[in-house]
Amino acid sequence: MSKRNDISTPEGYFDALQQRLGEIPARNPRKKVSPSGAFYRLAPYAAIAASFLAIVMIGSAVLRPTAVPAEDDTWTYVSYLADALDPDGAALVDGAGWEVEEDEGLTPDDIVNYLLADGISVEHLNYLSYEEGY
Amino acid sequence: MDGVERRFNEIVKEYSERVYWHVRRLVNNHEDADDLVQDIFLKIWTALPSFRGEAQLFTWIWRIATNETLNWLRRERVRASLRFTTIDAEMERRIDDDPFFDGDAADRALSKAVARLPEKQRQVFVLRYYDEMPYEEMSAILGTSTGALKASYHIAQEKVRAALGHDLFSGSD
Repeated sequence: MSKRNDISTPEGYFDALQQRLGEIPARNPRKKVSPSGAFYRLAPYAAIAASFLAIVMIGSAVLRPTAVPAEDDTWTYVSYLADALDPDGAALVDGAGWEVEEDEGLTPDDIVNYLLADGISVEHLNYLSYEEGY
Repeated sequence: MDGVERRFNEIVKEYSERVYWHVRRLVNNHEDADDLVQDIFLKIWTALPSFRGEAQLFTWIWRIATNETLNWLRRERVRASLRFTTIDAEMERRIDDDPFFDGDAADRALSKAVARLPEKQRQVFVLRYYDEMPYEEMSAILGTSTGALKASYHIAQEKVRAALGHDLFSGSD
């Protein structure tokens, strides 16, 4: 039993086939990319958008580390540092390093001195001291 | 005529006949084989600029031919089911109706037995038995190991032998 002789083709088929196949390039020309194509029309706009985006990204990357933080943030950070470094009440004094500043509140002497400086007479003060029971 | 077109024309001269016979064995009809060969070469023309030569040209062409033919067979299976018939029956009808089938009854029985094989087994059988292609080349085309191809061909042989009722392959692997 032969392997190929059991099927055949029309007379001269392969010559005609080659001719037809040879016409494929002419019937299906390749699309050449021309400057009038959509890509080239949109390229300038894409370039502008990409440049703008690059400027924004570089600008934010450069400016962010040097930006002054908001005031609230600064005080929150200073308070946090103060508490962390000296939980017993140490306060930061400009130019003098750390020292303890006791908060004693207002004493009667402070009030008396303030009132005297404000022009209140000693008699009047004595009267007030009597009224308040000092 | 540019370089790609020149190369395409060389491919047409070199491979069109071999591709036709391969396709014809799989589709069992001259007209369909003719249409399919045109589709295959149109695909080759479209893809030729992207062919970088990593694969051998022969392997690349055969891979396109194989994929196109398998796709055609799958579409034909769907068409057959829409006509309330099977692809096997459709293939047998094609063999019987093919005016360019010149073989005797035994040839016809062999063609029908091959047509009843599953698609991939049929492809392996046609490449090995009719095209006499080495397993290494088949492996490069089909992306399957030579061991698996040998096993597939052996199973296909057994099925064809059982269908024919006699040993056709004595002396072949």
